[in-house]
Amino acid sequence: MISLFSMNVRSYSSTHFVSWAIGSMVCIGTVSIASKGLAWVPPDKQPAGLPEVKEPADNPSTAAKISLGKQLFFDKRLSVDNTVSCASCHDPKKGWSNNDATAVGIEGKRGGRSSPTVINSAYSKFQFWDGRAGSLEEQALGPIANPIEMNLPLDQLIEKLKGIEGYRQQFKTVYGTDITTDGVAKSIAAFERTVLSGDAAYDRFKGGDTSALSEKGVKGMKLFFGKANCSSCHAGANFTDNAFHNIGVGMDKPEPDVGRKAISKLLGDTGAFKTPTLRDIAKTAPYMHDGSAATLTDVLNYYNKGGHPNPFLDEEIFTLRLNAEEIESLVEFLSVGLSSSKYPDAEAPELPK
Amino acid sequence: MKRSLYAMALTALLSSPIIAQDAAKAEPAVTKPSGPAMSTVVEGLDNPAGIAIQPETGIVFVSDSGAARIVKIVDGKAEPVVVEFKIDIYGKGPKYNIGPLGLLFLDKNTLAVGGGDLPDGEELLYVFDLTDMKEPLKASAPKAKFSLAAEGDIKGEGNFYALAAADGAIFATSNGDDTKGWVARANYEGNTVKSFERYLATKEAVEVDAPVAITTSPKGELVIGQMGEINVASDSLLTFYDPKTKQKLLNLKTELHDITGLAYSPRGQLYATDFAWMDTTQGGLFQLLKDSAKGMKTKKIASLDKPTAMAFGPDGTLYVTVIGPEAKEGEAKKGAVIKIDPGL
Repeated sequence: MISLFSMNVRSYSSTHFVSWAIGSMVCIGTVSIASKGLAWVPPDKQPAGLPEVKEPADNPSTAAKISLGKQLFFDKRLSVDNTVSCASCHDPKKGWSNNDATAVGIEGKRGGRSSPTVINSAYSKFQFWDGRAGSLEEQALGPIANPIEMNLPLDQLIEKLKGIEGYRQQFKTVYGTDITTDGVAKSIAAFERTVLSGDAAYDRFKGGDTSALSEKGVKGMKLFFGKANCSSCHAGANFTDNAFHNIGVGMDKPEPDVGRKAISKLLGDTGAFKTPTLRDIAKTAPYMHDGSAATLTDVLNYYNKGGHPNPFLDEEIFTLRLNAEEIESLVEFLSVGLSSSKYPDAEAPELPK
Repeated sequence: MKRSLYAMALTALLSSPIIAQDAAKAEPAVTKPSGPAMSTVVEGLDNPAGIAIQPETGIVFVSDSGAARIVKIVDGKAEPVVVEFKIDIYGKGPKYNIGPLGLLFLDKNTLAVGGGDLPDGEELLYVFDLTDMKEPLKASAPKAKFSLAAEGDIKGEGNFYALAAADGAIFATSNGDDTKGWVARANYEGNTVKSFERYLATKEAVEVDAPVAITTSPKGELVIGQMGEINVASDSLLTFYDPKTKQKLLNLKTELHDITGLAYSPRGQLYATDFAWMDTTQGGLFQLLKDSAKGMKTKKIASLDKPTAMAFGPDGTLYVTVIGPEAKEGEAKKGAVIKIDPGL
């Protein structure tokens, strides 16, 4: 069998591996990868600076599905006492988070972690701070059934939704079936994939518009990709490596949250949490997985001191020796430079009866 | 072709020896490839993490990393060649002791060694002269040594995982400044290394961490395995660069977890070792193949328990270092060199 990567040494001089390979292979960076299925937001309509959104092969988006997902996302009837919707903790007006240190569920119950933003979750390899869900579809049902969030067992959810004629009709239209948990998950996921933040000043600057960032913003950008070491984890178009790191947050507590270790079972993942996107970060305070940093300045001061020492601290966390002016510049870059030109806002839709 | 292109060595990370057991079958300990025969050349190594074949003799040299030494394999036994490296610790759990890492022969008697035994910034690229060696050399007395110390706000480099020769220079993957993911370059003339510098910022080029594996294509391109994050599955990249211009020629998603080694067989086939940190039962030796639909695909040749590096001998025999299973207290370490007969 002749491999793509094969090179017949004897005929080597007559081959042109690279030119041939580039023209015939799927590659990244040099040539874009063909997508599977149609993305809801066509690539040429997506905000600048973002890669194409890829959908699962079994959940291609349609306008009707996204509309259904949006209704479900905003519908408090998905909670046991009709008081909490997905949007309660992922409020478009609050950066698709909740501007609170932790998620707040039924009867004011609180979890131990903050609400991750939905913004650009379309690009996340993992969902939840500990990455226990591998897709938006996997993630969508978790909070509904969680006793301290929406507390509605999934069998009860389906019975409840079946009592709403508007949902019954839409499921028939979109899926050709009765209401199912699978359909609920797919619809919500399809809607969440439309929440995209790009075309920030940074993207325009990178695209050649040198006036897009202020002088302070440029300085902050250079620090971000250099001395401040931010890009060691906040890398790529979505400013995340999609990995898990122990940055020390909460590790000074008597019983620290073990984070990713609970899922991976790897000792080295103790206290590690998913690297969040930084797109539109100005809107999602407070910060860190436990909401312990009220402002971006607090975040940077935390990193500047090298985090909380612990046996599992990531090697990328160390004393940065940033001065106050440098921290200001970084805040400028993060808050202004990474804010989208057109924030992905959404209003609650009219809900079916 | 320069002799320096003859031998290459790679390296990597690191735990416990030999060929991985198939998750579905408790036995056998060695999973044979469907093609050429496979056997164990030597056992009892401690986190072996680099390998190179000596020109002219065909003797296999190995970084017995956790044992802080470089050995050569003679009659199935490991004989020390360079000893008394220091030891550093890699990882947070599991943790691995590491000393010397990548190996590369510039000629029969000139061995370049990528260090992993010192802190970032102090880490060394060593050059040893093996001429007329009567007893093992000491790591503290190389013929030459180079480092990439911190410079102002630029972090120092360390863990020179793997070495390859291209365009009249040595290229070393490294781990220090994760905002850049440097591949360093050492220029040399004859068997004398002249300089050592940060050269290729792979993280900026591909936006994924950790250049680890490196080799040279038959046409002279640098081929780099970007390991990615060890706690993220299937994120390793395969990237081709022009060593003269630094131009990124091709960047491919491999779907492998943690590429630690790359090598072309004498028949020109490209192979990779995958450590598969998150689930080491998935690790092994893979052939990288064309796929008309996806661009590329991998074919698993053999299951290996934490493979770290590989090198082909001139007759097409492939030698792979594996960390193998964790040794129980009092047991000998279970690192090994696996041999796969010619035919790949």
